[in-house]
Amino acid sequence: MVDYAVLLQQVINGVSLGAMYALLAIGFTLVYGIMELINFAHFNVFMIGSFVGMWALELLGLSGQSQILTGLALVGALAFAFVAAMLTSGVLGVAVERIALRPLRGVGGTTGMITTIGVSYILFNVILLGAGADAKNYPNPMPVVRWEVGGAVIDLREVLIWGISFVLMLGLQLFVSRTRLGKAMRATAQDSEAARMMGVDVDRVIVTAFFLGSALAGAAALIFGLYYNYTSFLIGYTAGLRAFTAAVLGGIGSITGAMLGGIIIGLIETLGGQLIAVRWTDVIIFSILVLVLVFAPSGLLGRAAPTKS
Amino acid sequence: MTDQVDPKVGVIAEPAAAIGRVLPALRGWATPRTRAAGIALVLLAALLFPPVIHNDGDIDAAANALSFAALALGLNIVVGFAGLLDLGYAAFFAIGAYAYGAFASWQLQPAWSGFWEPFQWLDLVARVHQAGGDTVHFQVSFWLMIPIAAAIAAFFGVLFGAPTLRLKGDYLAIVTLGFGEIVPIVARNTPSVTNGAQGLNGVLPPQLFGFNFGVDATPYYYVGVAFVAFLMFTSQRLKTSRVGRAWMAIREDEIAAAAMGVNRVHYKLLAFAMGAAFAGATGTLYVAKLQTATPEMFMFPVSVMLLVMIVFGGMGNVWGVVVGALILQMLQSWFLQDLSGWINAFGRLVEVEWLQHIQLASSIELIFGLILVSMMLFRREGLIPARRRVAALSLAEQSAQVGRGGIERLSGLGRVAEKSGEPLLEVKDLTVRFGGLVALRKISLSVPAHRIIALIGPNGSGKSTLFNAITALVPAETGTIRFAGEEILGLPPHRILERGIARTFQNLRLFPNLSVLENLLVGMHARLRTGTVGAILRPPATRREEAAARERAAEILSVFGNRLLPRAQHPTASLSYANRRRAEIARALASQPKLLLLDEPTAGMNPAETLELVEQIRNLNRLGLTILLIEHKLDVVANLAEHVVVLDHGELIAEGTPDAVRRDEEVIRAYLGRQALVA
Repeated sequence: MVDYAVLLQQVINGVSLGAMYALLAIGFTLVYGIMELINFAHFNVFMIGSFVGMWALELLGLSGQSQILTGLALVGALAFAFVAAMLTSGVLGVAVERIALRPLRGVGGTTGMITTIGVSYILFNVILLGAGADAKNYPNPMPVVRWEVGGAVIDLREVLIWGISFVLMLGLQLFVSRTRLGKAMRATAQDSEAARMMGVDVDRVIVTAFFLGSALAGAAALIFGLYYNYTSFLIGYTAGLRAFTAAVLGGIGSITGAMLGGIIIGLIETLGGQLIAVRWTDVIIFSILVLVLVFAPSGLLGRAAPTKS
Repeated sequence: MTDQVDPKVGVIAEPAAAIGRVLPALRGWATPRTRAAGIALVLLAALLFPPVIHNDGDIDAAANALSFAALALGLNIVVGFAGLLDLGYAAFFAIGAYAYGAFASWQLQPAWSGFWEPFQWLDLVARVHQAGGDTVHFQVSFWLMIPIAAAIAAFFGVLFGAPTLRLKGDYLAIVTLGFGEIVPIVARNTPSVTNGAQGLNGVLPPQLFGFNFGVDATPYYYVGVAFVAFLMFTSQRLKTSRVGRAWMAIREDEIAAAAMGVNRVHYKLLAFAMGAAFAGATGTLYVAKLQTATPEMFMFPVSVMLLVMIVFGGMGNVWGVVVGALILQMLQSWFLQDLSGWINAFGRLVEVEWLQHIQLASSIELIFGLILVSMMLFRREGLIPARRRVAALSLAEQSAQVGRGGIERLSGLGRVAEKSGEPLLEVKDLTVRFGGLVALRKISLSVPAHRIIALIGPNGSGKSTLFNAITALVPAETGTIRFAGEEILGLPPHRILERGIARTFQNLRLFPNLSVLENLLVGMHARLRTGTVGAILRPPATRREEAAARERAAEILSVFGNRLLPRAQHPTASLSYANRRRAEIARALASQPKLLLLDEPTAGMNPAETLELVEQIRNLNRLGLTILLIEHKLDVVANLAEHVVVLDHGELIAEGTPDAVRRDEEVIRAYLGRQALVA
């Protein structure tokens, strides 16, 4: 007997998670679209973003979930935390590109990816050694406001997560489709050689892609903290790999695809946990990753399979 | 530039004889005596380690380090040799470990029945008397389980490798990562076999002639030494064999490897299976020593640690990989602990609180990350590079001795048995389409045996596409391609080379990090027989085959005078452009082709070099080789070909003698445009 209220609740939870994965997946897709590089550092840029968001909230004197803010104070605190997490993550992403990846421009094969694995390890361990291995209680100033919809409950935090994700993704779409730099990004993703010859500063495009992708990962990281009320040095790998699966499922290189893939993975995670078993969700998600890569590497909305060897 | 021969080099007059002196490596496999002595010394030190150190903790750490060295050797086959980046390699370690764990512990205890009796006689299981009815206790011998676990892991290697065959680079890595994640989760979620997250317990220690290994580290250490020695021997022998060269060819350029006769599916799966087998066997040893197995022992960090080891030591270099693995393990178990101790003591001395609590061993992953990034940025070839430096050429070797095509004989070339009137190659109504673009439309042409046919046409007219279609690198939509009387359309590229069609590429597809000699030996792949077992055991027949192959390689190189011969040991990436063109032709010749497809062989050559090559090509034709040639230099075409075929926009617009084609209106229009004709 399927309980529809429970299912609806899981759909609501899934969309929230999916919004977070989507934000994180965009970072993979932007970088892959332009450089054909799978950026493992992105996992832990996200993780560090969640710590920065936490520290920003703590800086405002918030701790735990009992100090509730309302009205402008809430908006201000959240805005401050989002800006802090996004800016730091964005700058961190750019630093990774400048220090570790730019010297490898033109070196083919899997060198770039192996380097990002190394960078990811460094970021991971800096937080582990610096902040400790224990899970951190995440400050959350959001009041408990709930609406009942068809037997399921929607929290204020859910509405906020959807709203913020929507605004950020809309902003990214507008940036990519309307601005000069956005056009340069699309051109570079299509054919970086041709774009370079047409006068596009490809290095600048790459830096932009890293900044935007990492900043969105920072936003996703804060959402993670506010959603689960904790963070830890460990969160990057699992969330990152799921978001990467989302990017692949949606069609790597496609921003809309990353959003769609994120929502689907979020739904699979919550509904799969509900209908099958939580301990098998990872197997389901990784199987999707493998199956899509092997049988439909262009994903739902992506362009043709990669040509780089 | 005349035909005179420098007596000091003498490569043209008597290639095979002089080569041994100039380049010892061309003679075949040989281990220098100093190297053998070095190996004996290392082995002796390894054997004397336990009695000299006499500290169980250190011997235990060394035994673990040897396990990881064995794993790194396995990963090196997949990543270092075949170039398939595997990020889920620990999965095979897990499979081997759980295979032994399940068959030599108290984990599985099915009820006793008559079915188990034969196994009891073989001493694989024991009958345990229990209150609720007798049960089976699996107690398969450790020594028997090593090959069994290796075989099981190899099976999974093929199973997980097969889906990745069409994938490349990053994508392949991610799929292996996915499998690598799935295996430990499945292990955790099937507690009936693996006891889940708590881990197996009561895994039986090995026994040898009644001696129980127990928990003492020393016997495991010696088994570890034997493992690593055997795996190093195996890896090294494979690397310098037909099998290892096929792997490296795939690593360097998959398309070219296929076009030179390497069966990609077979060799990729072989690499996955071999690598997994190494890991499976090592898993058995590791679990027997630890006497437990938990899913956490086989997660992503283990795969990354092994990757760090081979990147650090030198990907593709057997000694480098082992040294890298041992250094990193020693760093972890000894050096960082000692260093932490010293820093803590220093902290107590100067009374600085935080210095007293530093535990560097917990930062080992940070060090792994730093190693990975700095190796990639500053020394991608690792501590001990896979390719040794080659000596600079002497002046005599550098000055060109031009081969003017005076070759009388070249083994492997000869007249083709002609069937009455049938051309060697016959293409009929061949159509190739890329999406909406028709690259070739109903092309028909025939190449009679022992002739040189030229294929010309403006850029983009479909000449190279025709070559690609003949060699099966692009699929044809309709049509037939008959070679030596048999249909070859639909065969995979390596089969087409086996039939006797070899080619060169317009943009050069040599294996850049392999030497000229190795490139030629890959070219001979289809004509050599050595398999995995032969490569490892090297029976006399294999040794003879290899020596003959190297001799033949030298013979082929001498077609180009001393252009390539003194550079036989150089990586082709270091050759001049013209020499790379020659090396590619030599590689194609090494496959003993009946038909040679040359795609702009003189591109990038100056007039003198062009003339030299033209004479060499004509010489090869005189020796019986049939040649289909794409060429833009019309003097070359006129000089070599009796028959010219002209393509434009994927259609055959004219054919005939060079003179007739040159006057053809269609051809002039294709090259110069309609205006030229009107004027």
